[in-house]
Amino acid sequence: MSRAFLTLSGRVWLGLILVFLYAPIAVMAAMSFNASPFYQLPFEFSTVWYQKMAANSQVLEAALRSVLIACVTTVIATALGTAASIALFRYEFPGKKVLQALLFPPIAIPWLITGTAMLILFFSIGIGRGTPAVILGHVALALPYVIVTVSARLASFDRTLEEAARSMGADTWTVVRRITLPWIAPGVVAGALFAFAVSFDQFVVSYFLSEPGDTTLPVLIYTAIRKGFTPEINAISTLIITLSMAVMFLAARYSKFGGDQ
Amino acid sequence: MADALHPADRARLAVFLTPAYLWLTLAVFLPLSAMLFFSFVTDMPGDVDQWFVTLSNYGEFLRNPTYASLMWKSLKLAFTVTILCILIGYPCALVLAKSVKGRTREALFLMVILPFWSNSLVRIFSWAIVLRGNGVLEKALNAVLPFEVKLKLLFTTDAVVIGLVHSYLPYVILTSYLALQAVSDDLIDAARSMGASSLTILWRILLPLSLPGLLAGAVLVFVPVVGSFMEPRILGGRMGTYYGTVIEDQFVAVYNWPLGAALSFILLAVVLVVLALASPVLRKAKT
Amino acid sequence: MSRVDVSHVTKKFGRMTALDDVSITFDDGGFFALLGPSGSGKTTLLRTIAGFHFPESGAIQIGGQNVERVPVEKRDIGMMFQSYALFPNMTVADNVGFGLRVRKVGAAEEKRRIGEALDLVQLGAHAARYPHQLSGGQRQRVALARAIVTNPRVLLLDEPLSALDKTLRVDMQIELKRIQREIGITTIFVTHDQEEALTLSDRIGILKDGRIVQVGPPREVYDRPINAFAAGFLGEANWIPQGQLAGLSLPTAQDGHRFATRPEVLSLSAEAPEAGRNGVTGRLVQRVFAGAMATCIVEVEGEAWKLIARDRDIPEVPGDGQVWLSWAPQDTMAVAEA
Repeated sequence: MSRAFLTLSGRVWLGLILVFLYAPIAVMAAMSFNASPFYQLPFEFSTVWYQKMAANSQVLEAALRSVLIACVTTVIATALGTAASIALFRYEFPGKKVLQALLFPPIAIPWLITGTAMLILFFSIGIGRGTPAVILGHVALALPYVIVTVSARLASFDRTLEEAARSMGADTWTVVRRITLPWIAPGVVAGALFAFAVSFDQFVVSYFLSEPGDTTLPVLIYTAIRKGFTPEINAISTLIITLSMAVMFLAARYSKFGGDQ
Repeated sequence: MADALHPADRARLAVFLTPAYLWLTLAVFLPLSAMLFFSFVTDMPGDVDQWFVTLSNYGEFLRNPTYASLMWKSLKLAFTVTILCILIGYPCALVLAKSVKGRTREALFLMVILPFWSNSLVRIFSWAIVLRGNGVLEKALNAVLPFEVKLKLLFTTDAVVIGLVHSYLPYVILTSYLALQAVSDDLIDAARSMGASSLTILWRILLPLSLPGLLAGAVLVFVPVVGSFMEPRILGGRMGTYYGTVIEDQFVAVYNWPLGAALSFILLAVVLVVLALASPVLRKAKT
Repeated sequence: MSRVDVSHVTKKFGRMTALDDVSITFDDGGFFALLGPSGSGKTTLLRTIAGFHFPESGAIQIGGQNVERVPVEKRDIGMMFQSYALFPNMTVADNVGFGLRVRKVGAAEEKRRIGEALDLVQLGAHAARYPHQLSGGQRQRVALARAIVTNPRVLLLDEPLSALDKTLRVDMQIELKRIQREIGITTIFVTHDQEEALTLSDRIGILKDGRIVQVGPPREVYDRPINAFAAGFLGEANWIPQGQLAGLSLPTAQDGHRFATRPEVLSLSAEAPEAGRNGVTGRLVQRVFAGAMATCIVEVEGEAWKLIARDRDIPEVPGDGQVWLSWAPQDTMAVAEA
């Protein structure tokens, strides 16, 4: 009886946590469709805030810039990260452990520290603020995630497949292109989606590295929030969170992250 | 033992590895070194003609008690948030790993970690909407409860804690879940066959065996929360001055970058101490 | 030490019926093997007796008490798992002492009984080690010590030897039998290895598709299988073709029964057997030498018969391969078709 009670209370707890995680997002989304500018209830359905947002050129520019930066980041980080993963998987060489350990600081050090450090260096070597600086930073933050994801997939790769291909006369590039890459493709796709998410959702580093008035969407939202809450922010936020959750959902499907395997 | 690499392999290795690590060097390791350097100068070189090497930026931290007390405030915040994440998240991971099975488990697990990958700024903002006076939470409570409540939660420390727990809870659930999933169900069956109650099984088997995972999650919460600034700004209002917000100010409002650099490095030192303290157990988590 | 009675137990998982009206009695102090192919329900039966599953219907009694609704932790059983399931975070002594600690027997008593149990499995010197520092056979012994240290009413073994290699396995079989005799505990043992079941147990139960097929002492089940499945699962059977039945001395049998022999009761000869022995003719197809023993395949009216005998007892066969296979009439089995 007590086991049944434990099982039941466990399910209830899990349910409460899901409510805690999703309720505020749902409320925010609902409020973006509420006509009142002061979040007054009762609820009155309206798409006025989405219309306002669509007419706001600053928002559109920032959104476009965010997507552009995320795409460029994804391409660069995925290419460099995949190449590095293959090299780390395939070769044994002195210092390999050190290189693997070096992936840890960009993930573990608070972004506030990394972001301000980037700001200082980029200013003193003349890169300054702006979109190139933001991309430089985003790629660096996304790289470790790509390498970790692709390496995880590689770990399940059967090396004898490569050896078999070699025994049939394939050179290194052919082996990589025809054997290794097709096997790790799901890991690469998942890594790319993680990279997109890291960049698209990135606020801290973008905040320090982007030019005021020429910012990414999250930075624009932050500035707007500090001036006061408006349902227009809800509308933008709802769109952003829908997009990033969709991307992560796809990434999870590809990498089978933490499932029963 | 590592075989000596063939020269051709060595070239390929360099071609594959160099771009990624060059990028990390330029965008992470060089900046951190530059920041260390600038934390020891009086002014940003280039801004002014005359600048000196000095310890005064670090001296400022000792001289002005505000910084130390804000550091203490941030550490307390991080401690509170971490403990709450453990208390809320570990049971959740336990249910996911040991009570739910099959496809349901996969779906629920995905639902739990999905928000963690979505925009944290937006999620913090959503709490501002929920917690504000006359907001949805207050309306909902007053509709259910017979007496009038005024929550006045927004712009309090509680609001900051709620928002941060919401942001970082999935870390603890994720790492604990992975550790718990690695504990074979046979061990639980064996303990039961010897007469152990659920509590004994949790205390003597599940908790010790998943401790590295739980601690890894705790570190992943603690470290960023010590340096948080956006969450306190949005949810804390006037109460939201923390160590992180002071660093932010040095870079975007006061423009005292050398002081900001020194404060950042002190924060980094604290982070490294935390990581070092946790590392003996964390190393176990990897194997 | 108690007798276990399972009566009319049915257990379903979703739409799948894992146990279908199973009734079986395990005698006090007996060593009982449950044998069957995978998916036959033998492990489900063991886990239902243990208390991991509650049956949909039917009763389970341990020592005369009804326990079918008692969860495993209250059932006072000892269990050994295929994976050993030793707690990796505890020493050997702590693993063995786990059940005693749960029962709060007191520190001195705990220490004494851990020592006794470890001595019984000859691991007294390894108390302070951790499981990962032990060999497979040693882990096995710790798991056994842990299962019996609380003096449970019944010892349940879920394929405990299948992870060991062959030599170690035979040693452990002898060891297991010795310890079981020494403490006289009612033991139920699940295995898919026929030889292991025959070696160890004093009673065998064969399961198929969630039902009990046959129960009895090993020799009886082996010599008198009640149907084709039991005959084929426990050893091998040579079916006597209808055309060869005439002139054989056969046991009385009901309709729908067929007659068969075991490979090792046969003798091979070039001439017809002496009077009083049953015999069939066939053509020797293959003779496989395996050291002391040899196996012959003989084609008897389209059926492939197998003979196992000492190599030196099998004569050389002339050119065309025509041979006689003969056996004592009492070695003929009458077996139900299904």
